[in-house]
Amino acid sequence: MASLWSKISAVLPASEADFPLQFSDTVQQSVVEVLKWCRRQLYSGATSPGQAALNAQIVLDVSWEKLNMGTWRHVDKEWRRVYSYGCLFKVAALCHEDPLVERLLQAVRTCDLGLLMGAAIMDDILQVIVRILQSEIRRSGEEEHQRDRAEVKRIKTESPHIPEIKDECAVPRIKCPSLETFKTSFLIPLRPVILEGIIDHWPALNKHPWSVEYLRSVAGCRTVPVEVGSRYTDENWSQTLLTVDEFIDKYILKKDGGNVSGYLAQHQLFEQVPELKEDIRLPDYCCLGERDEDEVTVNAWFGPGGTVSPLHQDPQHNFLAQVVGSKYIRLYSPEDTDRLYPHQSQLLHNTSQVEVESPDFERFPEFAVAPYLECVLWPGDVLFIPVRHWHYVRSLELSFSVSFWWS
Amino acid sequence: MRWFGFGFNAFGQICAQKEKSDEGEANTTEVKIISPTELSTTVDGSGCSFKTRKIQASWSRRVSLRGDGDRCVFLAGFKSFPSAESSGCTDAFISESHLTLAFQDRIETWNLQEEDKTPSWNMEISAQPESSVSLPAGVNLPLAPGGYITSKPPFYYHLSAQLKAKSLALGGGHAVLLTAAGDVYTWGLGSHGQLGHGGLASEEKPRVVEALCGMPMSSVASGGWHSACISDIFLTEGGDLYVWGWNESGQLGLPSRGLWRASQHKSSQQSDTGDLYTWGWGEYGQLGHQTLMSSDEPQRVEFFKDEQMRVIDVVCGTWNTFAAAIKKDDAYS
Repeated sequence: MASLWSKISAVLPASEADFPLQFSDTVQQSVVEVLKWCRRQLYSGATSPGQAALNAQIVLDVSWEKLNMGTWRHVDKEWRRVYSYGCLFKVAALCHEDPLVERLLQAVRTCDLGLLMGAAIMDDILQVIVRILQSEIRRSGEEEHQRDRAEVKRIKTESPHIPEIKDECAVPRIKCPSLETFKTSFLIPLRPVILEGIIDHWPALNKHPWSVEYLRSVAGCRTVPVEVGSRYTDENWSQTLLTVDEFIDKYILKKDGGNVSGYLAQHQLFEQVPELKEDIRLPDYCCLGERDEDEVTVNAWFGPGGTVSPLHQDPQHNFLAQVVGSKYIRLYSPEDTDRLYPHQSQLLHNTSQVEVESPDFERFPEFAVAPYLECVLWPGDVLFIPVRHWHYVRSLELSFSVSFWWS
Repeated sequence: MRWFGFGFNAFGQICAQKEKSDEGEANTTEVKIISPTELSTTVDGSGCSFKTRKIQASWSRRVSLRGDGDRCVFLAGFKSFPSAESSGCTDAFISESHLTLAFQDRIETWNLQEEDKTPSWNMEISAQPESSVSLPAGVNLPLAPGGYITSKPPFYYHLSAQLKAKSLALGGGHAVLLTAAGDVYTWGLGSHGQLGHGGLASEEKPRVVEALCGMPMSSVASGGWHSACISDIFLTEGGDLYVWGWNESGQLGLPSRGLWRASQHKSSQQSDTGDLYTWGWGEYGQLGHQTLMSSDEPQRVEFFKDEQMRVIDVVCGTWNTFAAAIKKDDAYS
């Protein structure tokens, strides 16, 4: 059996001369110098892993400072590339001598940090390496999650309280409409609708039914961003990075007994974990949009019961596909925006100030007369949320949804 | 007066590598200097060592301004350029990409990434008629007459004369200005609270820090995402340190033990006792406590006390610290 290092070596350029280090002038020569030291050490047999790790850390530290300067949008892509190189060199240093599981997990985390915050380098080499690392971890495999089955079942049998949906406010449902019907009856007039039967063929709903155990096995050691706190409009709301295993333990199974809400929300998990991407399909109706289908943004939304997305609007159409569990959703038309009291600040101007399920009518009187549609979304349902339609979402139980933002 | 440095030394900016390997790569033991190490005395052409009047440091370099003789500039660290063009220098300011030098009659900014024959930017200033030791009026780098100098084109930015700028600290993405009246103005990125206006909004123009109005300050400093100032010790009961901004690495020194009257903080500051306190991120040894640990509480750098030395100046580089000290029993010069 080939050693881990030989497998990683095989995907790296054959020699130092083949290893590219090209940057724009934004990256100062002093930083490129350190990158060159790292590259040299990668191909020299003589370097101690300690030295290699130290130089990789210098690259990570100096680029991390740039990543934290100003808004994310304005961070020069070149610094994100430097950060990815830092992750690559650090992983190489970690994997040189047959590492134990602890080191392997650290290497996976390092790849993930590069994938999340860096920019693709060398044909997305971090993605290639993390796949090698994951199979290495699986081989040294530890199946300690049998007992979780019992715990997860316990969570599932606690039946959630399902809100009653009044007929006159219910989002209409239609089974497998033709492209033409959907376009004429709902897309053009911008009317919300629940499409039934259109994702029945997803492996996530039949061949590889998604479950907590399945997610652990496919992505347990992967690091993901998690939103902590009851809703993003709260003062003490924050984001943190956890492995999927840690997220499940702490926020789904609540092993530490805490009661703070945690939500793996709005994350492009399927870019990070390609195996999961194979379990879903792009809804055909996205072809009715003006943009290319590869420009559709696909996000994962995975969390326990009780997660809340405050009433807000998005600048694109959304197909919200429910895979596991159920959600209560309320929709308001953009025509009624004035009755929804959006925040004034630049940061939150797309979010309403009103607590949908316990509104303060003294502060927000018009909200009482704003017309709405509501629904409970079940596994297999896909909700069409037209562009800029206000929506409020609360999970009723353990839930996994996939959203498709398209135009 | 002797200068000491500690912290990040991957480019030999504190002390040159003891053994340069064939490939010139950084030696592990020298990258992080955890205990204050004296800067080697620099020797000029005639064999006389020179006194360093001022030090400034960027991430990969250190610039020393000679206090005597031809008052030239000495550059250590990544790729130095010769000091020949710098005789008669009165002030220096360094960033990772540029070196700005002030002379009696001009200010020049040189690109450290290119071997240019001419400066990237320059400005003529009116020469001082009196003693050649004092700085030309309006020059306290990065402050220049009528404005200030940064390391990005167009380099020179105008400042309103009404501000009566006295000193300026440039942080990672923000600026902290001290006026002659002792007011503090800030502008630039505000995302981490570093502007001190109570929110996270950025500011395009200098805006007074209202929370400090009424308390004249005597000096200001800035880090990557935080700011600090010290209240004037001669007015009211000053000498208090105020900090604001990002505290992720404990760089605000909070939670503090409440009653610290910082004798030193991370900018040049005279003190009564001559003790040096450091706090914040320490992973490169830049706190000088002989560890690589960070600290969110000001701690005294024991080295100087053990050596019976008074610290009379301190300068923060990006990941290192430089301190000037004299023996306590020496007549103060």
